[in-house]
Amino acid sequence: MSDIGIKLIYWDRVLEAGFWILLTLFFYYLALRIQRALGGTPLANPVLLASAPIIALLSAADIWVGDYQMGGQALIWLLGPATVGLAVPLYRNFARVRSALVPMAVSLVAGSVVAVLSAVIIGDAMGASLETVRSLAPKSVTTPIAMGIAEEIGGYASLTAAFVIITGIIGAVFGAMFFNFCRISDARARGFAMGIAAHGIGTARAFQEDEVSGTFSGVAMALNGIVTALVLPLLWLAFAG
Amino acid sequence: MRAFSRLALAFLVLAACDTAGRVIVWGLALPVPGTVVGILILLAAIVALRRVPEPLKEMAEFLLAHLNFFYIPAGVGVMAYAALLADDLWPILIALFASTFLAMFAAGLAFQVVARFTGGKGDGA
Repeated sequence: MSDIGIKLIYWDRVLEAGFWILLTLFFYYLALRIQRALGGTPLANPVLLASAPIIALLSAADIWVGDYQMGGQALIWLLGPATVGLAVPLYRNFARVRSALVPMAVSLVAGSVVAVLSAVIIGDAMGASLETVRSLAPKSVTTPIAMGIAEEIGGYASLTAAFVIITGIIGAVFGAMFFNFCRISDARARGFAMGIAAHGIGTARAFQEDEVSGTFSGVAMALNGIVTALVLPLLWLAFAG
Repeated sequence: MRAFSRLALAFLVLAACDTAGRVIVWGLALPVPGTVVGILILLAAIVALRRVPEPLKEMAEFLLAHLNFFYIPAGVGVMAYAALLADDLWPILIALFASTFLAMFAAGLAFQVVARFTGGKGDGA
């Protein structure tokens, strides 16, 4: 291709992206080993255990996150096909999901309302700025939807993206302990609540526990994303102007 | 090698459903994530087939078991907003922790209580 002076593939970029992907894979493998060594505890969350050393490495070497994201973007793209795989456990547990439509509907309404209102009220009471409070509102739904909502109601989409990830990690790390503490023992309820409060990262954790929890978490994540996207901007207009 | 190519094909099916979902959502301007439509497309295909092909089952279960891996770049991305987060650090952390617990409590309790009244399999695992 060089004879016409146009570079079709920037091999140095591809190599760099490949390097970051391999590095991520390495730290993920290490995180899994640590989690297994600790008996599979949710406290040793793989997202947290793997991204922390990568952040430390980038900071220490003074490398811009954007450079890392050349590889990161490829993995974020893969999240789509991986999530589509939810159709398989959903098919297998179809009867179970269908028989729980009423509890799911009630839980969805209760969970999505509490997730938004409590974040807004507590953030405001703690003295966060108005932009921060607006960015907090959609923190329980999956990143692309949350960012869209934040923009619509006057928050910062990028700040919301960070809130979404932190929320997901909090849910994944402490969810099981918290459900035990509250005597929420039904695997369907635990999964569904995890998906509502902690979207995909919670769902990833739920699948580490069992398929029923994972399936209900995935369904909850999808439903909460849709409901919050439809209702939150309207509520915001009605109450906050 | 045959097993490998079947798994690769299974992955292509997943990616195709995801892409189709995104295209549909974009084309019809639906307020739903494309991947959710992708899930529905694959589910419809499986329902039509009346069974899950073995390589698809293996690939889907493998990816779901390692879903955490694909969230690591998002976790790393948080560092870009460290300065913004630092502005309101304590209000943010308190709001995120409290709100996540409250949402899990409300959703989990509502599900469990209503499920007890409406029957259905308990699955108290």
